[in-house]
Amino acid sequence: MLSKPSSKQTVDLHSLMQKSGLWRASSIECEFKQGVSSGYPALDQHLPGAGWPLDGVTELLHEQQGIGELQLLSPALARLSREQTRHILMISPPYIPYPPALHALGIDLASILVVQVNENKDMLWALEQALASKSCSAVLCWPKKINDKQIRRLQLASKDGNTWNILFRPTQAITQSSPAELRIHLSPAKYAPLNFHRSIHLKILKRRGGWESNELKIDFDDRLNQQTPDFSELVIPSTDNVKHETKT
Amino acid sequence: MKRKHSDELWLCLHFPQLPVEIFTREKTEKPVVVTVKQRITHMNSIAMALGMRVGSSMDTAYVLCSNIVCFEKDHDKELLALNFLAQWAYQFTPHVALKTPASLLLDIKSSLSLFGGIENIKIQLQKGLLHLGYSVVLGVHHTPLAAHISAKMALPDVAPLHDTPIEMLDIEPRILESLQKMGILSLHDTLALPHSGLTRRFGVFFADYLQRLQGEKSDPQKFISEQPSFLSEITFLSDVTNVESLVFPIRRLLQEFCEFLMARQLKVSTFSFTLSHRSHKPRSFSIHLAEPENDAAMFILLTQLHLEKINDVEEIDSIRLCARQFLSTTALSGDLFHGTRFQQKDGRMAGLADHENSARLTNILNARLGQEACFGLSLANDHRPEKAWKPVQQGSLEMGDAEDNHRPLFLLPQPRALSLHNGKPEFSGGLALLQGPERIDCGWWDTPVARDYYVARHPAGALYWIFQERPRKPSQEPSQKEQQWFLHGVFS
Repeated sequence: MLSKPSSKQTVDLHSLMQKSGLWRASSIECEFKQGVSSGYPALDQHLPGAGWPLDGVTELLHEQQGIGELQLLSPALARLSREQTRHILMISPPYIPYPPALHALGIDLASILVVQVNENKDMLWALEQALASKSCSAVLCWPKKINDKQIRRLQLASKDGNTWNILFRPTQAITQSSPAELRIHLSPAKYAPLNFHRSIHLKILKRRGGWESNELKIDFDDRLNQQTPDFSELVIPSTDNVKHETKT
Repeated sequence: MKRKHSDELWLCLHFPQLPVEIFTREKTEKPVVVTVKQRITHMNSIAMALGMRVGSSMDTAYVLCSNIVCFEKDHDKELLALNFLAQWAYQFTPHVALKTPASLLLDIKSSLSLFGGIENIKIQLQKGLLHLGYSVVLGVHHTPLAAHISAKMALPDVAPLHDTPIEMLDIEPRILESLQKMGILSLHDTLALPHSGLTRRFGVFFADYLQRLQGEKSDPQKFISEQPSFLSEITFLSDVTNVESLVFPIRRLLQEFCEFLMARQLKVSTFSFTLSHRSHKPRSFSIHLAEPENDAAMFILLTQLHLEKINDVEEIDSIRLCARQFLSTTALSGDLFHGTRFQQKDGRMAGLADHENSARLTNILNARLGQEACFGLSLANDHRPEKAWKPVQQGSLEMGDAEDNHRPLFLLPQPRALSLHNGKPEFSGGLALLQGPERIDCGWWDTPVARDYYVARHPAGALYWIFQERPRKPSQEPSQKEQQWFLHGVFS
């Protein structure tokens, strides 16, 4: 009498686990593969696998270019470029990924490969090929247009090819559902008009084994933090001012 | 009679149907005939079954069947095909000689133990040639000429040739006629004649021929060269107008090509196809590979990707695959523990297949997107930001000295002019200057640059790299006239 319903229950539970996106709370910690450290301990502790994932699709949603969206990834990319012989592929970047800056951030230029594609169709094709080829550690892409079906395909391909796929998307995409494993919204830090400290705010919208996070603030340790004289009044620097600056 | 060369073993491949088979490499249900001056000289089995005979005129042929396909005999094409077959046969022995019009001579003495006996070689030859679409008769004998005769007569291995009718001998018609008039009809009769008399009557060449045939005199052959080139062609019986129907013939050509490469342990980095038609100019396209390869599946994939781009195909009646430059293969040791990643000398983790996968990816990207679409990045020694980097082909990295100063992660291909608002540069919002100026003033030798670079912030938070042009002449005071501002980089 007792065994029958319980066995039925386990079958149901089992099939539920198979079908839907449910997971056991006990398996959260162990299920994640160790990720690659993001270089920011404050971020690492919020990411499943204590770092950026090594495969799957990661979506970075941001409004504007130039808020540090690429710099956020640079410690991890530098590490991947130095630890693996596989490529880091950039598909349709909006501008030229500038080698002197990449080099300065410790990224090995030999591993970087850039693909310029004009048509959206070709871009998706190149993206899927790159993910499935097993020859890239990370593939960064700036898609003009992409839907959830296409992201699902990429998710499968990136799992298959053991490749981390990063998609940079506009903030409007927040409202669309997405099969991406990790979705993070990036926004520029609200600083006082002339505060030189550079930082970025991010909010994890979706992650495995966790809820939406609070807003996190990541400070970049770059040379912009150096104290520089106030140029707010200075549109055209005259030679006098430059001299004065070097003295102080 | 003593044979000096009886320890040699020659195999002759005779292609009796070569003139017609060069046109019928694709399987066909149609009767095909080859003509010389409107007289049929060769035909395929379907034409034979319809009752066509060698020597009958084309008019007779059209009476028997109206949809007959007729080709003029093409000696050049036959020679090309024979050369191709010689290259193919090279996998069995390095000593392959052409015997025009339609035979090959193989010195197989040294290959016997490798292939496990003459029977195995024959079976493999027959199987391979059947696959290529050529029918063959094999003949084995101790001398090249004897092998040729046994092949033409389809005699068993090393059978005595005494009963050979003299028409089968490779001799001048004049000599043949006089021998027949003398009542000499077989090789046996000829050899029974005194040697000196034969030389006197028919000349040195004939006597020499008989000696070479019997192996009394050595018979050096001109073997095909070792530096090969690959050329194979498929002719269509009816014109092809759509690209899809080219896939199968292309697949077949590429498979032949890869067998050719395998047999020679070669790789190739570029090969080309020519699509031609009798009424207009042929069209060619080449496939370039990032790394030398010899993988048939890869070649097929790349060619298909290339074909997808072609959309204005005119009618085609033949397709030809050609490759001239080859590289030797370096054998790669296999992977015992499948897919394991191991640490390299420089501390990187690598899998054995990484290099292969990466070459494969570059190949397919190049095939579909073009050669320039995929590139690597390199530093260059120049202070001008737009010249401090350059795109490079993958694997050809040059190092330069990196700037120590802060540089944006994205550089605009062309600086974008900024408008001014209340004396400040503006880019959909006024820009506040954070850091600078950094003066870059160099390049007098080609494109002079005189700029003051600043890091500027957009009200929404983005950081930009902008510059202001400096006046070219030092005498000109900057404050006199506003200089143009440009956006050059984005601190992504």
